[in-house]
Amino acid sequence: MNARCIRAIIKKDTLMAIRNNLLLIALFGGVLFSLIYYALPSDVGESYELALFDEGSSEYLEILSIFGAGGLDIDDFDSLEELTVAIENGDYVAGIYMPDNFDQDIKSGNVPTISLYYKYDLPESVRMSIEYILESSLEYLVLGIEPVINSYEVLGEDMAGRQLPLRELSLPFYIIMALMMEMWTISTLIVEENALNTLKAVLVTPATPSDVITAKGVVGIGYSLIVVTVILLITQSLRGDAAALFVCVLLGAILSVSLGLFLGSLTKNITGSYIYVTVPYLVLVIPGLLLFFQDVSIPYIKIIPSYYLINALNDILNMGASLAGAAKDLLIVAVFDIVFFALGIFTLRRRYS
Amino acid sequence: MISVDGISYKYGDFLAVDNISFEVNKGEILGFLGPNGAGKSTTVKMLTGQFLPEKGSIEIMGYDVSKDPKKIHERIGVCFEEKNLYSRLSVRENLEFFASLFDIDADIDSLLKKIDLVKWADDKAENLSKGMQQRVMFARALINDPDILFLDEPTDGLDPISADSIRKIILSEKQKGKTIFLTTHNMSEADMLSDRVAFINEGKIVALDTPENLKLKLGKRVLKIRLSTDDGFKDESLMLDDPNTPQKAMDLLGSKKIATIHTQEATLDEVFIKLTGRKLEQ
Repeated sequence: MNARCIRAIIKKDTLMAIRNNLLLIALFGGVLFSLIYYALPSDVGESYELALFDEGSSEYLEILSIFGAGGLDIDDFDSLEELTVAIENGDYVAGIYMPDNFDQDIKSGNVPTISLYYKYDLPESVRMSIEYILESSLEYLVLGIEPVINSYEVLGEDMAGRQLPLRELSLPFYIIMALMMEMWTISTLIVEENALNTLKAVLVTPATPSDVITAKGVVGIGYSLIVVTVILLITQSLRGDAAALFVCVLLGAILSVSLGLFLGSLTKNITGSYIYVTVPYLVLVIPGLLLFFQDVSIPYIKIIPSYYLINALNDILNMGASLAGAAKDLLIVAVFDIVFFALGIFTLRRRYS
Repeated sequence: MISVDGISYKYGDFLAVDNISFEVNKGEILGFLGPNGAGKSTTVKMLTGQFLPEKGSIEIMGYDVSKDPKKIHERIGVCFEEKNLYSRLSVRENLEFFASLFDIDADIDSLLKKIDLVKWADDKAENLSKGMQQRVMFARALINDPDILFLDEPTDGLDPISADSIRKIILSEKQKGKTIFLTTHNMSEADMLSDRVAFINEGKIVALDTPENLKLKLGKRVLKIRLSTDDGFKDESLMLDDPNTPQKAMDLLGSKKIATIHTQEATLDEVFIKLTGRKLEQ
């Protein structure tokens, strides 16, 4: 490889990417992600907000709260109609209607009746949790049976009371989105060289195919680092182990660039490259989406390279993991990097030679 | 400077170049002529190391193209037929980029002056006319002051004045001792610039000699006479090599009806047709 040729191509590609707005688009994406970050809630509601219409002013109401262990915030309503409107408006997770004869039924040993109201889109897991709390309370009131689960063990660090807000939880997702966008930058630079026939002119100079590929790789990695830094700065999220964060972002950038090199070698025109890049891009952001839906599991998710990148980013940014702590995931990303880079070089050299 | 020995190249089953051999000497311009699909571009690609010959060998300045392409690339300049400039870079940036690949401090302003594009130096290549782009590509081929120039249709798309100025630059490069491999469709250009011309047809070199020798050996020299008649004019063509021509010419001169008379030399086009049965533009 020829260092002066690589330098010259880097300079030229940087100028080209600035002039065709690739960098601007990437930076705009970074800023947009940061704005979405600020639009998300910065704290976590760890209790269920419930609406209550207690028709008979029950003296047992306090027991319901005790069984919720602080997990129930209950607001009183004066009528069932007001309660249902509040539920429909999404102001509360659920509504509880305690009829007039509730206390009387308990005192006479009968099973009391409680009606629950949910909005149509409430997840089943939340419904089941609320129902479990209320059923446990009623069993205690009527039968004097206390809940059998009276001890538990948290595996790993107990985050109760300081759960990650959606805002912080989403940060690795934006970084993955920004990193993977660089696939477009790289594949566009490669396809352009072919489409404009400029590669022919470059390859009859001292520059070799390896020089061209290396230069484009460096440009792509540079752009990725810039965009991720912008996101971290705007979101004020430059935190955690700096070395671990740098290695993680670098490996992610290499993954994106390697895929861009490979995908760029598969087509000869710009439109084709967009199509070739879009599908892998959508696949690669899926593991990031799972951060928002932690109770969803997707089979074979672990075959997607970005799954390990997301894990590492989440551990470093949100769990305070060190380089050693994130090493397992980073190592797997590095293996994917090597495989895709080799594949990209192989296909590009075949095309360029 | 260029030594080609029995090279061949196939695209699938199609034999594009079939066992051709030739040499180009230092300071010589070799015109490489042939119709579309004859194997010209494939030959240039092999000579410049873009394709490797499937058979035979090529030596450029003593280096084997297959083994030392980069040593050769340091000292050659290539002007491509298709437009291949970086469209979003300016004329100057395009030339500076290629100068930096050669790690040379090229005098871009002189080059721009030479191709008469000083005024457009800072314009993006995409905003230039086809002819201007062609001139930039020509300047790019000269950027490293190469020992050998490979010029593929260098005046294609240029207006007559620009084409003439490019031809003058080609001749001045020759005078500096540069070796030039010129591919062109333009017969008069080849005739004007080339020390020797090679005709390639269906992948084979069918003739290689100086333009004069080819025309003398293979062309027809004609005496063209226009006669005034009662109905206007009548043209007569007398072959100069025909033994009966002198007598026929004398008879016509005696008739006192001659309006114009001139000799017409053979052209390279006619030579090519005679050799291949095809026109060059086909």
